[in-house]
Amino acid sequence: MKDLKHLIYFENLLQQADNELVEQGRKDGKLALGYTCYFVPETLLNLPGCFSTRLRAPNTGSIDVGTYYMTNKICSYTRSILERGIEGGYNYLDALLSSETCQMMHRGHEHFELLGLVKNNPKFFMSMMDVPFSDSDNAVDHYEDQIKTKLLQPLHDVYGVDISDDAVRKAIEDHNEISAIITEIGDLRKLPNPPITGYEFHVLTLATYACPKRLVLDKLQETLEEVKRRVPDTDKKYRARVMVIGSEIDDPGLIKLIEDTGALVVADRFCFGSIPGRQEIPLTDGEDALTQVIRFNLKSTQCPRQCAQHRVQNRWDTAARLMKEYSADGAIYEQMKFCTYWSYERAMAGYIMPREYGMHVLSIDRPYIAGQSGQLRTRVQAFIESLEIKKINEGKGEAK
Amino acid sequence: MAYDPKTGKGLGRFYDADHRAFKFREWKGLKDTLYDYGRWMYLYCFMAAQLGPYAPQMVKGMLRYRWLVPYLTAANMVDRHTIGQRGKELQYSHKQFFSVLHHSVIKVKEIMQRDANLNGNSKKAEALRNNTVMFDEMTPSLIMMGFPTLDWIDIAMMSVGMPSEVDQNSCVYYIDAIEHFGLAPDVCPEPATECGVAVTDDYPRVGKCYVTSSMPCDGAVQQTALMSRYLKDVDIFQITPPQRINEPEVQDYAVKNLKKAIKFIEDEMGVKWDWDAFWKNAEMYNQMAECMIEKWDVNATDYPQVCGAALALQREFEFMGAACMDKYMLKTDLEVTKMMHKGYEHDSKLGVNKPKYRCIVWACPAHYYTNFANWADLCWGVRCVNDMEAMLSYLPITIGDKEQALKDLARCYERMMMRSHTNGGYVNLLDELWKMCDRFNVNIVIMYDHVSCRNVGGLHGLFEDEARKRGIHLIWVPHDVMDPRTVSRREMRDAFNKYMINVFREEPLDPTLLDYEDNLSW
Repeated sequence: MKDLKHLIYFENLLQQADNELVEQGRKDGKLALGYTCYFVPETLLNLPGCFSTRLRAPNTGSIDVGTYYMTNKICSYTRSILERGIEGGYNYLDALLSSETCQMMHRGHEHFELLGLVKNNPKFFMSMMDVPFSDSDNAVDHYEDQIKTKLLQPLHDVYGVDISDDAVRKAIEDHNEISAIITEIGDLRKLPNPPITGYEFHVLTLATYACPKRLVLDKLQETLEEVKRRVPDTDKKYRARVMVIGSEIDDPGLIKLIEDTGALVVADRFCFGSIPGRQEIPLTDGEDALTQVIRFNLKSTQCPRQCAQHRVQNRWDTAARLMKEYSADGAIYEQMKFCTYWSYERAMAGYIMPREYGMHVLSIDRPYIAGQSGQLRTRVQAFIESLEIKKINEGKGEAK
Repeated sequence: MAYDPKTGKGLGRFYDADHRAFKFREWKGLKDTLYDYGRWMYLYCFMAAQLGPYAPQMVKGMLRYRWLVPYLTAANMVDRHTIGQRGKELQYSHKQFFSVLHHSVIKVKEIMQRDANLNGNSKKAEALRNNTVMFDEMTPSLIMMGFPTLDWIDIAMMSVGMPSEVDQNSCVYYIDAIEHFGLAPDVCPEPATECGVAVTDDYPRVGKCYVTSSMPCDGAVQQTALMSRYLKDVDIFQITPPQRINEPEVQDYAVKNLKKAIKFIEDEMGVKWDWDAFWKNAEMYNQMAECMIEKWDVNATDYPQVCGAALALQREFEFMGAACMDKYMLKTDLEVTKMMHKGYEHDSKLGVNKPKYRCIVWACPAHYYTNFANWADLCWGVRCVNDMEAMLSYLPITIGDKEQALKDLARCYERMMMRSHTNGGYVNLLDELWKMCDRFNVNIVIMYDHVSCRNVGGLHGLFEDEARKRGIHLIWVPHDVMDPRTVSRREMRDAFNKYMINVFREEPLDPTLLDYEDNLSW
């Protein structure tokens, strides 16, 4: 396929957290609001006058200092974020909005406060929310209270941010605008011969998490038109279609590694992916916009932190539905090494999905930056081969 | 002093690399040996009296459940915690441990009476099951204070928690089973073991419904997810207290959540919450908490009395296992508290029994080495005057005011074992340690370095930095909670020895305890 016109531009934006569009956003007088977890509703960090920046630590080298503070039993994403913070990589932040959701990132963020990691901004603050473990009505009410107390009110008090219902509705509209583009591009992956690779799609999606959305909108729109017109290679280049499910991936190198083995990543059901995260939020007039965002977030999350029976079932059903929608041949359940939530989810899925949903599953753990892992490549390669063989055998069976 | 410098005989000689039990019983002098042996006999007589009538179920149970066998070695657990002790110290330990075992034995009996796996089609067992609520180990059953006509059994405490403290190798099979199932070996072995018991179908079926929770950490949350699937034939409720426990604005949610739990039990079991019973039980809870605080107060003086595991384990089981509703435990608590005050008066008057060094224990301890603090005292004279695990909810429940009482009950859940420190931010774990060092006048902290714990590990460097600033000795002792194969008891001792020798330049009080092999022992 012909290269995407803006791919290199988007790739370059992902080379550092404090990229040129983040700088541009700051110069435009907008507040840079950092976060790492889906449970901090991204939409609300994009209120008028603000933009969200989901923290990444691209091109991470040594994480020795992060390891000193947090030990080597903490996931390398958290340690990399801390290391980058200690290096001064997040000095551009005006606030860090966090939640006591996963123990490791919670502790990681506490270091921002205790070590005073964000310099040069006397107004910088960080806030830690309590997030419920379920999606019941009580949980929605509690979550909403927390968002008001820990996120909206401080933004208003410290920076004068407009937190009215109109402002929230505007933020949702903006979110929906960018989500519509990503969803439209993403849906093209459902085609038998998609005009976009998993790697390219991940780069685009990541850019929307890492940059002020307004500033990537025009190029994304252009890319959408380009992808729609793009002529895929006549011969399928991939050997198997896979869905990737699991914990945080903000390194497109991992998707590239998977695709280099002959797979095509057609669905991205992981943190920093588009499912969930880039769905439009349905908005009605009869209820506070805030309540609607909150409920949407609690209901749409696919994080294993929600452990109620119906939520666990929802995750498995969602995975199976996506497999079907995207015509995936198999699923790669991945977890960042040391992620407790995904360790369990991965183990259960590895047992349940093949038996009860007939899904072919590869189960892997990986470090934060995994694009160069030979071991991982071999495992994925073997999985792709097995999917290919299964397809051949199934074909033979049908022929008979 | 149990070590005789003339003969070179010390307590290390009781351990044998080739045997599980001690080589022989310790001679503690006539009076103490008689007392010690009497308690040993009494424990086994009690077990025989309680469990004897259920001999067929016990035999079937031991063939069915691996975790049941370690209960036979309960006396060895007491021996490990009383070795080297004399006089009042020996009596505190025996009484404290017996109250724990007393409760456990009765619970084992209740399992034998109800278990569907052991009782076939027994109508009697079925009727008992229909009146019983099952609980998860990390979910205190305090909510049962308002349900006097119902029984409850903490199935994970009885099959994982207690056996892991009785026999160091009791969890190994279950850990292997869950890892074989696909769970990463780097997660905390405690919830992993509980899941291992599930995947091997080794939980007794003793109740009509199951109450679990999201406590205290990520591992427990996920254990709940797996257990929900394992017990899919019974209705399940998850108590999910807020995590920012110091913040007043989260408390309403905590109470609402608890009310839902009460409603769940009411609906499932067809009974109503009984406030009169609740007040009565809350009163008992308050008395037990008061006893705990009195023990802390005495231990903060120069003459600590009830120390080490005798203090911590008893409180853990009293709160987590018995939900402060065990009358025998209360009786023991009152008795030990009285003895302790007498002991304190004696020691302070004569100026005797002052510990050489004082320490507190912080972070999650090794279940397979609960007597580590006793060893540190005997080998190095480092006496543990308090333990983070014992510092769980201690504030009283308000009697008579229903809304306030529910808030207090919610607080008990929020501040249950471990969670009171690991949730709610660094102030509860990091800052609290320095406060406790001041409160208990210690400059040594046995810092349990649980090799899979993300929560405490995530503050490791800050602990180091702050301790250095404050001149506090943090002695990191690695362990893997339920899995002695990762870090053995011997390796734990070695870490401590190295610090005492190299940093303190100390000589051991009992050199025979410096290094010995006990990998095989219970």
